[in-house]
Amino acid sequence: MISVQNVTKRFSNITALNAISFEVQRGEFFGLVGPNGAGKTTLMNLLIGQRSPDEGSLTIFGEHVSPDDPSIRLRIGFVPQAIALYDELSAHDNLLIFGRFYGLDRRTLKARIDEVMSAVQLSDRRHDRVKNFSGGMKRRLNVAASLLHHPELLLCDEPTVGVDPQSRNAIFDLLTSLNAGGTTIVYTSHYMEEIERLCTRTAIIDHGMLQAEGTTRELLRLLPFDETLIIKRSQETDGLEPALKQFGDVIGDQDKIELKPRSNTKISDALAVLERAGVMYSNIDWRKPTLEDLFLHLTGRRMRD
Amino acid sequence: MKSMVALIRSYFMVFLADRAAVALTFIVPIFMIFIFGEIFGGSHPESSGIRLAFLNLSNAPVAKKIETTLDSMSTFTLVRTFKNKDGVSVPFDTLSIQDFVRRGNAPAALVLPVDAFTDTSVGLKVCLYYDPRNDFEMQIVQGMLQKTIMQEAPQVFMQSMMRQAEKKLGKAGSASFSNDIQTAVNRHFPGAHFTTDSMLSLATTNGGTSDSVGRGIVKNMVDIRMEQLVGKDISNPMPTRSVGGWAMMFLLFTLSSVANVLIDERRNAVFVRHLAAPFSRGQILLSRYIYSTILGIIQLVVLFLAGTLLFGIDIFSNAGNLLLVIVFAAAAATGFGMLIASIARTAAQASALGLVLILSMSAIGGAWFPTTFMPATIQALSKLTIVYWSMEAFMVVLWRHGGILDVAPYLGVLAGIAAVVTALSVWRFSKGQVLL
Repeated sequence: MISVQNVTKRFSNITALNAISFEVQRGEFFGLVGPNGAGKTTLMNLLIGQRSPDEGSLTIFGEHVSPDDPSIRLRIGFVPQAIALYDELSAHDNLLIFGRFYGLDRRTLKARIDEVMSAVQLSDRRHDRVKNFSGGMKRRLNVAASLLHHPELLLCDEPTVGVDPQSRNAIFDLLTSLNAGGTTIVYTSHYMEEIERLCTRTAIIDHGMLQAEGTTRELLRLLPFDETLIIKRSQETDGLEPALKQFGDVIGDQDKIELKPRSNTKISDALAVLERAGVMYSNIDWRKPTLEDLFLHLTGRRMRD
Repeated sequence: MKSMVALIRSYFMVFLADRAAVALTFIVPIFMIFIFGEIFGGSHPESSGIRLAFLNLSNAPVAKKIETTLDSMSTFTLVRTFKNKDGVSVPFDTLSIQDFVRRGNAPAALVLPVDAFTDTSVGLKVCLYYDPRNDFEMQIVQGMLQKTIMQEAPQVFMQSMMRQAEKKLGKAGSASFSNDIQTAVNRHFPGAHFTTDSMLSLATTNGGTSDSVGRGIVKNMVDIRMEQLVGKDISNPMPTRSVGGWAMMFLLFTLSSVANVLIDERRNAVFVRHLAAPFSRGQILLSRYIYSTILGIIQLVVLFLAGTLLFGIDIFSNAGNLLLVIVFAAAAATGFGMLIASIARTAAQASALGLVLILSMSAIGGAWFPTTFMPATIQALSKLTIVYWSMEAFMVVLWRHGGILDVAPYLGVLAGIAAVVTALSVWRFSKGQVLL
């Protein structure tokens, strides 16, 4: 459905995207993950045809995406990163305006407004002005405004930034059900947990370059360890980090020490070191590896560094 | 105290970081002072003068003297010819000079007829045809003409009268006649110490304006026949003349705020949603252009209707042509608003830029003062403004009751301005620098 081939985009002397390539199949929930400034929004802008790539090609539904050819956008929904709503108008009027953009007739539009209002749980607030909505409600309406024309492809550019857990879950449930109904979704985020929870396949980008791509399972296989040993900081853990480094990568912060053991490490040896230091068993935990671990492994940085 | 200094410093830092605020505080006032200074000839006193159509049919020396004086004055630029249908310059006659004024080519025409001053005349006869399209300008024209004629005519009159007396009575007889007049006047006005020399001096210094007797004598000797050629039927001339300029200024303010809305939209991401919708950039810009033009048309119609209700301005007798001018003026002003939106990166920048452009265009375009008050360079610049051409077009329709052919050149210029400024803004938008 989407084919991105060697796409490069520059702004003055900054290369926002550097020879990015990936494909998205129909019906996928595809994640684009990377830290702020990685190039996610630039890629989204190229996908909706706001800009053209400097190099490479970009097709959706087999057609080249271009700022001058808007017809393809009839089949695409876009949830912008910022809240793109008229504050002074009611939720209903906002949806009326955005629905008309897609040429929906009055009856269809009315039905679609009812449908999306219900989907984002805002039916009882439809006539309230958007300026009186909470941040989470605005976010939900922001998503709803992109669904009125039943797009085949939904592009979501960090749609849950600054959202309360309730609204986040509502948006996740909505997107999951849309995907289950056949809508292809491309979802950008810098929250790895969101991507892991929602996406069937993910591309990790950093500094405009594709670092890795695949299903979560495929990506996690790139890690040289299966699980992470987490040791809660206490008096006994002081000065312990150098001793643990012989078993793998060690990352420490104020609260804990994380040991990502190498594949040839005998875990009993590491536990023996902890036991000798007097670390209590209750202060030791195991965690499955995450995409965050993969990002750290690939780039040497945490996502939010 | 230290913390207060820190607070005050923080205010200055924030203020200086806002370039628009700095511009509004310092650069805009300086620019406006410069514009006003230029308008009133502060640094460049060379004014090209008010165009005065002039026809001298008299052979009398006094007529020649008046012509020479008017020619030497910076207040007036005398126009003695007009271009006929073939584009050939032809000297005025008594009919064509009136037509010249009626068509708005000059605010007034001075005709010195064949019998302006003859050997048998007791005074000077002149004809002033005028179009009071601008009250200030007409007051200046009339005042300066009267002053010039009053200054120049009496000396010639007295000399002429003395010559005629000598011709009829001989040198001795004429001297005796003068003495008799002197004696008679002094007998009836004791203490006046009247002499024929003093009478001559009185008349030749300042037209006798410092003395009621002298003023009466001179006034009776100059017959200025004035005829208003345009706007006689207009019941409320002052508002009719000024409504166009003020309406245009407020229209520009409205469209400048439309530019702010466009910039705000960009900021709150609604514009991104527009770009993600099935529209081309051209369609988005065209829609914005049409919307703003319609808004401008509605605003102008409402302002003119308010002028009718409040001041009795007649907008209905030439409503069709007025509507045409409104549409073209709104289209040109919309292009201007789009240009501001395409240049400014923030709403504050748009406000500052809009304010400078609106105030300067209104000032030099003639919305506040007649352009003829301004130096030649500013007058040339005024012809680059939407305000000038819109005002001229409104005057043709409301003041002169002009038809479609009369107003067509002005509409053409407005359409040209609209095309140029809109093309510039489209170019800026299409470069994509502004959209994202």
